[in-house]
Amino acid sequence: MAVSAYVVPQAAKSAIVLGAIVAIPCLLIFALAQGPIITTTTNFLVMLTAVAALGIFSGNSGILSFGQCSFMALGAQISATLTIAPALKKSAFPLLADAIIQSHFSLPIALLITLIVVGLIALAIGLAICRLNGSSATIATLGLLIIVESLIVAAQGFTRGNQAVYGIPKMTTLPVALGLAVATLVIARIYRDSRAGLLLRATRENHAAAQSIGINVPSQRLVAWVLSAMLSGLAGAMMAHMLTVFSPKQFYFDLTFSIIVMQVVGGLASVTGSLAGTVLITVVVEILRRSENGLDLGFVQIPQIFGVTEIGLCLIIIATLYTRREGLLGFAEIDRFLPFLRPRRSDLPRDTTAVADISRKPTGILRIDAISKAYGGLLAVDKVSLELPVGQILGLIGPNGSGKTTLLGCIAGTHQPTGGRITIDDIDVTGLPAHRIAHLGIGRTFQNIRLFTHLTALENVQAALTQRWPQMGYEALTVAALHLLADLKIADLAQRDAGTLSYGQQRRLEIARALALEPRFLLLDEPAAGMNESETEDLLGILAWLVQGRGLGLLIVDHDMQLIMRLCNQIAVLNKGELIALGSAADVQQSQAVREAYLGRRHAERIVA
Amino acid sequence: MEFFLQQFLNALALGGTYALLGLGLAVVFSVLGLINFAHGELMTLTGYGIFYALLFGVPYPLALIIGVVLATGAAILMERVAFRPVRNSSGTTMLLTSFAVSTILHILFQNLISARPKAIAVPNSLTGAVAIADMQIGVIQLLSILVTAVSLLALTLFLRRSLLGIAMRAAAEDFNVARLMGVNANLVISTAFGISGVLAGIAGILWLFQRGSVDPLMGFLPVLKAFIAVVLGGLGSLSGAVIGGFILGFIEVGLRAYLPDGVLAYRDAISLTLVILVLFFWPQGIVARREAVR
Repeated sequence: MAVSAYVVPQAAKSAIVLGAIVAIPCLLIFALAQGPIITTTTNFLVMLTAVAALGIFSGNSGILSFGQCSFMALGAQISATLTIAPALKKSAFPLLADAIIQSHFSLPIALLITLIVVGLIALAIGLAICRLNGSSATIATLGLLIIVESLIVAAQGFTRGNQAVYGIPKMTTLPVALGLAVATLVIARIYRDSRAGLLLRATRENHAAAQSIGINVPSQRLVAWVLSAMLSGLAGAMMAHMLTVFSPKQFYFDLTFSIIVMQVVGGLASVTGSLAGTVLITVVVEILRRSENGLDLGFVQIPQIFGVTEIGLCLIIIATLYTRREGLLGFAEIDRFLPFLRPRRSDLPRDTTAVADISRKPTGILRIDAISKAYGGLLAVDKVSLELPVGQILGLIGPNGSGKTTLLGCIAGTHQPTGGRITIDDIDVTGLPAHRIAHLGIGRTFQNIRLFTHLTALENVQAALTQRWPQMGYEALTVAALHLLADLKIADLAQRDAGTLSYGQQRRLEIARALALEPRFLLLDEPAAGMNESETEDLLGILAWLVQGRGLGLLIVDHDMQLIMRLCNQIAVLNKGELIALGSAADVQQSQAVREAYLGRRHAERIVA
Repeated sequence: MEFFLQQFLNALALGGTYALLGLGLAVVFSVLGLINFAHGELMTLTGYGIFYALLFGVPYPLALIIGVVLATGAAILMERVAFRPVRNSSGTTMLLTSFAVSTILHILFQNLISARPKAIAVPNSLTGAVAIADMQIGVIQLLSILVTAVSLLALTLFLRRSLLGIAMRAAAEDFNVARLMGVNANLVISTAFGISGVLAGIAGILWLFQRGSVDPLMGFLPVLKAFIAVVLGGLGSLSGAVIGGFILGFIEVGLRAYLPDGVLAYRDAISLTLVILVLFFWPQGIVARREAVR
């Protein structure tokens, strides 16, 4: 298949609009105004760069980072070192190598070197941080902030220690800042809807589901982490060349907090939010800063108060978190508000001929060979062996706590089996991580539906499709995704956010997403749970089509006996981790062991009697 | 050998303080999923409580008790006023709220008290050293170790023996199920904050004895380090927090004692980098908390 670029047309248009919204007023100010407003605007643009850079990682991954300011500090430090006049450098940084002291670069070259060095440092750090989840990751970024600050202070001689670096050429003029800020904003917007951005947003919405469609979560995070760090470094360098003097303390908690407040108030998950938050907070801070030295309101004198600005920021963020947790824009981009940027139904490709050749049915057999899973002394699954050829349905039943979901987890790779082997034909997949197993032909759905809630139905399926067809362009992916949605009869819901769909529609979407990877085997964990009779009837139709139409092998865990008995070619019964019966519906119904497991020995005997 | 033993005790004392702080953070996190940035301000508040109590002529032991009570009350109040509105939201939302609370408290301390450190006299009986075998061991070190041990023991007994303690452990395992079993959510959460306040108060006193003064930022850095200790131990695990605290204490003291002079300035950076390296190999921390994927 031809490699074509993955570009979402809306994203490109939206990025241009965002850029213009920033550029036009700033150019007007540059052309018409003079004095302090030029400085304020330049400062705003530097902050905008920093906020948009933070958003690339935190907005798309959902992991709040306190560490981006450390990359700003590094960026400032490196770019300053590259551009300060050699004579001054010799006295300021006596321990630096001679070659560096003698070097004297222009701004573009200095920025380029800064970006590369910061990117490499971020890559090394990111290998560890991107493996952490949620709050642990946030705390690790906090550690990073402290590490870098203390390194810069400790490395006196290479740096100026905790003293100010001075004599930095003033090169961040308003037009330069504008160019760099707009570029950063455009990159952030395009990244959000790029292939990598889509996959990262999927991991933000649901970690386990992202793995189940083959996404390697740490490596997707790493891409955003490095990009975000490089642009943070850029913002730091811009700041250094704006201020001409800085000390390491300026890139510490206060700046970190300001940047985070801007992003969170605007909308953590939105690039438009970065812009809105930066504008709002810049205005508020300008007003508060003026009142910091005391204020004469005519009738009352307000004395000088330390930290009015910080208190103001705190109150704004608390108000935001109490009343509008997702920030001003939430997950929305500017496209939502400008009708001409919104995707129209007529924009969606109408030609929905299948890309994948589904007439060729899969072949193969999934073998579970004496799989065990122990938690300490407890055997949750005890040497269970099963076989599932394609085109067959295997039902897995058993009382609560009998190890069904654990067994499913061992096959899907979310649990590490402690013994036994799982193979697909001759490929050993035992103990592989979930995202690798997804690529080897095993799809799954979850007991509690796990969708990418704030992504559209279309994006849910596209995210999975890009895993199967990495080279496919956006157009072709859309066609294929719509085709899958049509198969599940939810094509008309393509542009709706997954979280807004009804229960039955969500189940269908989850199956459509699982099918996107063209699995040979599909594991369904209680697909009928919580469904009413007509929904269950629908589901039966879909499952039958999966087997007869697509030729998949299904492994179904469910408590709905009617569904299991009607559907399955074979039924396996687990009790306390052991396989106690395997056979047709009739065989299982006859089994004494099964009755005992479900009813207890005494009741079982009474029924037989 | 003497030097080593001396450092070993130092590490126990410092690690114990981190462990107390980390445990206070972990008690709240395990119940609520909140990482409380304002925990450090509870330490600072203890310091100011003691400072003012002494200023008004309150006897020393009573002043210490006032300090701890103040931190405990403040912790419970903090939850009522600031954290209840964001109780069921994401970790990020709660963390940011607590960060804002922490910053507001800093600034209040600065404006209402002073930005400069306030000296607190440490009783003479504590500044000396006792000779054991051939070693001179600081009384404060010994006291720190003793207080840490007693606190950990008392908390363990509370969590294992008392009904409320068992409810707390249940809530730490699975808060929703605990509530279904009739555990009173508000009571458990208030108790968690109360415990974290007591622990922050005790840690604050130990920290104060080392420094002899209190300033608005007193609690900030030790609590940042305690965060890292908690993540190292395994976020959400109480025993993990204690283990993480002691490990961090040992790393810091070890580096201070054995690093050559030239790189001594880098010890904070080195110790935190070591921790992050550990997390690279055990992303869940040392005592991992298992979560089922359903």
